[in-house]
Amino acid sequence: MTQTDILSSEQEDLRLLRESARTLFERAGGSDRARKLRDAGGGFDAEMVRELAEAGVFGVAVPEDQGGLGMGLAAGGVIAEEVGRVIAPEPVVSTIGLSLGLLRRLCPDHPKMAQLIGGEISLAVAWQERGPDGAPADATCRYADGKLTGGKAWVVGAIGSHGFLVVAEQDDGPVLVLAEADAQGLVIDKRTQADGSSLGELSFSGTPAAELASGGAVLTALAEAVADATALAAAELVGLSERAFEITLDYIKTREQFDKPIGSFQVIQHRAVDLNVMCEVAQAGVREALAQMDSETDPKVRAPIASRAKARAVTAAKKITRDAIQLHGAVGYTDEFDIGLYLNRALVLSAWLGDDAYHRRIWFEAREAEGAAQ
Amino acid sequence: MTDWNAMTDAEFRKEVRQFFEAEYPEELRHLPHRPKFAEIEHWHRKLHAKGWVAPAWPAEFGGMGLNASKLLIFYEEQQRWGVNRGRDMGVQMVGPLIIKFGTQKQKDYWLPRILSCEDIWCQGYSEPGAGSDLANLRTRAEIDGDDFVINGQKIWTTMAHDATHIFMLVRTDPDAPKKQQGISFLLAPMDQPGVDVRTITTLSGETEFCEVFFDNARTPRENLVGELNKGWTMAKALLSFERIFIGSPSLAQNALGQLESFARGRGAFDDPVFRDRFAQAALDVEDHAALYARFADQLKRGETLGADVSMLKIWVTECFQRITELMIEAAGPDGGSIGPLQVGNVSVDVLSSFYKARPTTIYGGSNEIQRNILSKAVLGLPG
Repeated sequence: MTQTDILSSEQEDLRLLRESARTLFERAGGSDRARKLRDAGGGFDAEMVRELAEAGVFGVAVPEDQGGLGMGLAAGGVIAEEVGRVIAPEPVVSTIGLSLGLLRRLCPDHPKMAQLIGGEISLAVAWQERGPDGAPADATCRYADGKLTGGKAWVVGAIGSHGFLVVAEQDDGPVLVLAEADAQGLVIDKRTQADGSSLGELSFSGTPAAELASGGAVLTALAEAVADATALAAAELVGLSERAFEITLDYIKTREQFDKPIGSFQVIQHRAVDLNVMCEVAQAGVREALAQMDSETDPKVRAPIASRAKARAVTAAKKITRDAIQLHGAVGYTDEFDIGLYLNRALVLSAWLGDDAYHRRIWFEAREAEGAAQ
Repeated sequence: MTDWNAMTDAEFRKEVRQFFEAEYPEELRHLPHRPKFAEIEHWHRKLHAKGWVAPAWPAEFGGMGLNASKLLIFYEEQQRWGVNRGRDMGVQMVGPLIIKFGTQKQKDYWLPRILSCEDIWCQGYSEPGAGSDLANLRTRAEIDGDDFVINGQKIWTTMAHDATHIFMLVRTDPDAPKKQQGISFLLAPMDQPGVDVRTITTLSGETEFCEVFFDNARTPRENLVGELNKGWTMAKALLSFERIFIGSPSLAQNALGQLESFARGRGAFDDPVFRDRFAQAALDVEDHAALYARFADQLKRGETLGADVSMLKIWVTECFQRITELMIEAAGPDGGSIGPLQVGNVSVDVLSSFYKARPTTIYGGSNEIQRNILSKAVLGLPG
């Protein structure tokens, strides 16, 4: 096989993956399902998690010898885009990127790996902490004698998860532990997000937890997993932006004022084109970034690529979802129209793991450091 | 005859790169202005001797016969090394049209003269009343014996004052039901009493653009290319490759490189606001390049590009303009100064870049026209 043949067969695999993911989500009810779940209290559908697992979704980026499909982050991105298109609330990106990202790097033989890939359980990763001023702060959560003390913040997928992968400190450095969801002394404070989902604020008081890994490797793996999740969140935003744009385009073609579709007015047309261009640039940039991350092993190189992806995706999603409301006019401001669901999901995904300004700064600093090193 | 297309992309790129690096005169790299032919004649001779004047033309007419993929590489290398395009209107515009629609006699006569630059061509399309609305052109050509007699005016004719011939769209049937009909494609010599050229001084003080006045100018009837009254369709048929070329990342990439070295020398990166704006611009360029690569891949697979390729031009030209604004910002009190500014061992002509960026959103179909095209042809919006 020539290089071109290999490339095109990879492209073909991704196309098939996209098709099957799209069919699965559409059959399950598309974005209507997201609305129903939100109205029902903001959880996700455990049955859907199992169906996604059957389609191989969670193990997509896990190497084959660890029980996954070994298709890389590019394939994870394909899934994430489809999740974004229907704003599915299941913890897909956080599982592929964070929980499996951590476990496959630190303890690939742990039985939880197979359970996660199989969709039998979900595990939330608790790694960030809130300082006294409310902003992110250094980790102080302690692990000693098999017990956790302290707190963790901004935990995605905390509600409905079977347990927590907690990054904590012990006497001789960082440690990754597993605390069950019903563990003693664990209190979960739920913070409702714009899209109806929740972030968990966890507090541990002598909460029993099992050690999975320790030492510097924990932080390295965490950084890698966060980079993966960041890039996948970017892909989710790309899918979300695409669909938000399509919905808006349909709307301006049908909504009539002054006896004409508003999409026949040049000012509306030019704004629509700008959103379309924004969307295409984001798609191209983010897909390229994911492919580059697959071919890079150096964490110092991969992290800024993820930042590039998230910076672009957030920039695009912000512009597209805000302008989508404007182009819908007053009905865009109602909860009845779907476009608002997309705006609300974009708010949550943009804030998660850093917004555009944050990632531009990270990207620029990495670029400067690389320049200084040369 | 070398079959360039049989080479791998990497081999071909290396070959092109080596030739440019070894042979292209250093003093002509990244020329800030459009040269007269005399200024680049020595380079043109080398290119001609090598047989590389017309990369896109089929080999049988003296071109390199490159396919789309190799052609992109050729242009990428050309831009990377700052190789001037030369006086390429003949090669880019007239030649392909003659090859496609011309008679054997026209091919035999004109094509070698284009390659050798014995004839230097300028493009007579725009008129004072026909810019974005090009089909509105009014310059008349009427048959009189064996000649066409031409009356009217062309404008924005690049380098007409240094051209021997003009290829033009002229109205040959003023009564046609649609204005796109009744337009013909005509070749005419510039050196005659009925043709008067006046240069236009631009904002940057350059005189690359001209007005060309036709007062009973004449050209032989045999200089009609293609059928009478079919010029509009012919001219449009040539634009497909042009549309990706005009959206290539190189202008913005080069400007970004200049901005970076200039801003660094001036300490502009100490300012976190400037850093963020630089990062935005740099990422705009990088992500545009990713989109460009997607379209280029389409060409490489032998697919035809759709109207959506116009988005490349919109993005890259507007990005180019933002970058030049940042250069002015980094220049601080020197932001209004004409000429090169020295920073350490780098010399950057801030205003020259700024001026160069202005017409990019106007030429080649203004960005507003591009948005009209995208909204109808790609988004399917009505009206």
